[in-house]
Amino acid sequence: MKTRLPFFGALLTLAGLSSCNLQKDIEVDLPALPAQLVTECYLENGQLPRVTVTETVPYLADPAPVLPADVTVRLTLANGQVETLRFAPGVDRATRKAYTHVGARRLVARPGDVFGLEVTDSKGRRVTGTATTPASIAIDSLEYKFNGRPVEEREAYVLTNFRDPAGLGDYYRLQIHRDSIGIAPEIDYDVEDRLNDGTNFTLGTSYRFDNNDTLLVTLYHFDRPYYLFRQSVQDASNANGNPFAQPSAIKSTVEGGIGVFTVLSYDRKQVIIR
Amino acid sequence: MRYASFLLAVILMGSLAGSSAAQAQERYKLSGYIRDASSNILPGASVAVPALAAGATADSTGFYSLLLPAGRHQLLVSFIGYQTQARDLSLTRAQRLSFTMAESSNTLGEVVVEGSGTLEQKLQNPQMSVERLSAKEAKLLPALFGEVDILKTLQLKPGVQNGGEGTSGLFVRGGSSDQNLVLLDDALVYNPSHLFGLFSVFNPDAVQSVDLYKGGFPAQYGGRLSSVVDVKMREGDNQKYVTSGGLGLISSRLTVEGPIVKDKGAFLVSGRRTYFDIFTRQINKLNEGQPDYNPIPDYYFYDFNAKANYKLGERDQVFLSGYHGRDQFGFASQGGFNFNFSWGNTVGAARWNHIFNNRLYLNTTASITRYQYDVTNKLDQFSFNLASDIQDIALRTDLDYTPNDRHALKFGGQLTSHRFGVGRLQAGSSDGRFNFGSDVRYRGLEGGLYASDNYKATDKLQLEYGLRLTGFQSGSNTYGGLEPRGAARYSLTPKTSLKASYALMYQYVHLVTNSGATLPTDIWYPSRRSVKPQRSQQVATGASFLLGGGKYLLTNEVYYKWSQNQVDFKDGAQLFVNPDLDSEFLFGRGWAYGNELYLEKKQGRTTGWIGYTLSWSKRRFLPQRGTSGINDGRVFFPNYDRRHNLTVVVLHQLTERLNLTGSFVYTTGNATTLPAGRFGVQDVFGGDISVAPIYPDRNSFRLAPYHRLDLGLVWKLKPNRWFGESDLTFSVYNAYNRRNPYFVFFDQVRAGGEDTPVTSYRARQVSLFPTIPAVTYNFKF
Repeated sequence: MKTRLPFFGALLTLAGLSSCNLQKDIEVDLPALPAQLVTECYLENGQLPRVTVTETVPYLADPAPVLPADVTVRLTLANGQVETLRFAPGVDRATRKAYTHVGARRLVARPGDVFGLEVTDSKGRRVTGTATTPASIAIDSLEYKFNGRPVEEREAYVLTNFRDPAGLGDYYRLQIHRDSIGIAPEIDYDVEDRLNDGTNFTLGTSYRFDNNDTLLVTLYHFDRPYYLFRQSVQDASNANGNPFAQPSAIKSTVEGGIGVFTVLSYDRKQVIIR
Repeated sequence: MRYASFLLAVILMGSLAGSSAAQAQERYKLSGYIRDASSNILPGASVAVPALAAGATADSTGFYSLLLPAGRHQLLVSFIGYQTQARDLSLTRAQRLSFTMAESSNTLGEVVVEGSGTLEQKLQNPQMSVERLSAKEAKLLPALFGEVDILKTLQLKPGVQNGGEGTSGLFVRGGSSDQNLVLLDDALVYNPSHLFGLFSVFNPDAVQSVDLYKGGFPAQYGGRLSSVVDVKMREGDNQKYVTSGGLGLISSRLTVEGPIVKDKGAFLVSGRRTYFDIFTRQINKLNEGQPDYNPIPDYYFYDFNAKANYKLGERDQVFLSGYHGRDQFGFASQGGFNFNFSWGNTVGAARWNHIFNNRLYLNTTASITRYQYDVTNKLDQFSFNLASDIQDIALRTDLDYTPNDRHALKFGGQLTSHRFGVGRLQAGSSDGRFNFGSDVRYRGLEGGLYASDNYKATDKLQLEYGLRLTGFQSGSNTYGGLEPRGAARYSLTPKTSLKASYALMYQYVHLVTNSGATLPTDIWYPSRRSVKPQRSQQVATGASFLLGGGKYLLTNEVYYKWSQNQVDFKDGAQLFVNPDLDSEFLFGRGWAYGNELYLEKKQGRTTGWIGYTLSWSKRRFLPQRGTSGINDGRVFFPNYDRRHNLTVVVLHQLTERLNLTGSFVYTTGNATTLPAGRFGVQDVFGGDISVAPIYPDRNSFRLAPYHRLDLGLVWKLKPNRWFGESDLTFSVYNAYNRRNPYFVFFDQVRAGGEDTPVTSYRARQVSLFPTIPAVTYNFKF
């Protein structure tokens, strides 16, 4: 799919060669869709559980998110205990992530642990989901190599090596942040083990890192539902503005609404390019 | 199978039954070829005997045949744009007689609208829903960037839609573009387009003519549901060496042709290449080293056509045709990536024409066709390669037998060996640290036997009926079907005829794509396992009226088409290098119906046509295979569904050297899907919230109507001894600068720069082409 993007660029270049000013605002009459609850929850071992509950809105509505206030969030822990999360909207300082509900205790999430989520509101809407903690996959090694440019201009690529366990159905996300994880990553992409199950993986970048860059390399390991959610969000976004793409529905990991409920499992390493 | 063989035999025997009576009338067959002065065949040219109200039209190979009583006759040989020839003939035995026709005027830009013979012949022909167009005619009409495109010209005919602004894809009577059987000298062309379909692969200098069948398909054609696009390449001049070509805004063409042996054989080679890349490389050179330098990708395409024909004797002639074309796209990124993408078709065909006797002749064609794409990414020691291809080797034999003047039989067969390279991926590093890949390949064998009879039942009633038996085998899966075909013409009066047709078609290979457009990365897939053949039936009926003393032909056709096993794909389907691609298919039904009104004028200083189509095309994919289908099983319009389509084409001969042309198109806007809702996704880390769209029913939104006026002028320059004939062709695409919608997207409006808050959302319409003037210089010496 990614190969289409350069073509689309070429097409626009062709159009650009002939003229400009080929865009204009238009009025559109969109059908009204019923508002659905949107739930976003990434559990993490050793962290307080935080959930963000919002609502879907008409596309051309005001940008401010709609936060339904009468929502009850219950989290079923791995030991079967149910914890009702407190409605306390805020922003996580470490991740800069906004949330609406927060738990009282830090989670214990071991590989294989299953968690449950239930979100209800006074309008009778109910969103449910389950999530299993994936096994942790360690980054075996990080490598980098400079290109052949003069020393002051040279740039390096980075390789992340790890081993995929035997058995299909493992999905990975590689993120590389420069200096801090609190900013947008330099590299962010997903891979699956469909074609090289149970083998050594080497995930690379282009020549893009400078001398003395401090890089934080994070390798997430997750399951198919979360992978499909991520892909469907990406496909749906790409279809807005790409005449060759077929719009696709969001594949939520929850039922009764839209959103994702998953447990994060990742390994993170630091490397200084020099 | 037994039933099928029986039906085929009935067709053959039914036709032979009339032969003994006919032979008693001392009738002899007159046959031969009709060509122009450059030895190009003239499909559609006619030979008539007015005194007997008898006549025949040259077929797609330029061959005609008719049975006449013994005696003296005056023959009239005519073709639009050529001088009518009168010839006396004393027929005492079966005779071969070929004609060479001279152009009716010395102007290069002789105004000719359509080459399918006279309007009267069209009125009388039982074949309905067919359009014939010559490259010569297409060259007169204004074209995008001045690039003459015979497929785009066909889009101006009723019942034919395009896939979007400027594209050459054909969507015929509610069918999709992969349901067209595109043939080049009887060899299949899988992807007939360059650059997203903006240009077709058919170099107008190498093409003689194209026949487009929208319905009532003759029995010799099969394998696709919606249309047959039968393109014939030109034959070289068998008298003298000729060089011709053109210099255009984005490409140039050169053709060389001449005799191999005078009067016995000729050759033609023709090439075309674009030169975007020459300009973009210069721009890149100038910008290299600038901060934020981002090189413009390198892109060009080329075509190479060749054809040779040779007479082995009075009864045998061989033809060799070839095509090779490639699109090349590539760039080297600042990050060290080298990206290359090439795609294209290679086609070859060898045809042997043998005349057994004056009643029976044969054409046997062996052909090979291959479409492939290849994507390569390289970075240092690492490489990634993704490729797909499809290759066919085919053999077909067609026999024409005319037992008497009431029957004309066609029968034959075809066998095609398909090789599907559904997906090949290879990734690795030169140091061997990792290496993985996948190669998904299948084979398929497709066969067809057919017989048909063109039966002149009475002076008023003519029938064409036939049967095609087809089969397909891939792995352990075998499919087959009977495809009855039929057409009838009844002459209500000498100037009014009624026509009707029926055709059933199977399609055994499927295009794997989840976009609405034809893309280079499209993959072909065989019918196998759960993927059943597509099936379609079409009925059509119409009436034709010759008006204004034979100057105008008004035709109205109504059609209804219903299809099963139409294919689509699951949301987020993994279409590349998937060994279980079967499971990604969804199957549904389709319906298309409409009315096509067509008024054409072919002779005089002003010619042209007006076409209006009112049509509907619908699809339904019920919940299946663990999905809710498409639209939760509700009916939806494919994006090429257009309710109204009006085309007006006018050609006017101003002087002997100046021709003015114009075409106007009005079409209902494309059906498209716009997001109706949205929600924010924060992801694992907060900060920028990304917007995820929520889509309502598929294609539930209509873009604004599309309309465009193109103007053209062909100015023939005075011949001189250095350059011979030449002309300047001026065209203005989108003359009144209509901003036609190409697509619509939703955009964020921010308070200031990229880092400022979003204040609102807006809908933006993108247009592709404003007014584009172009000039092309064409020469011939």
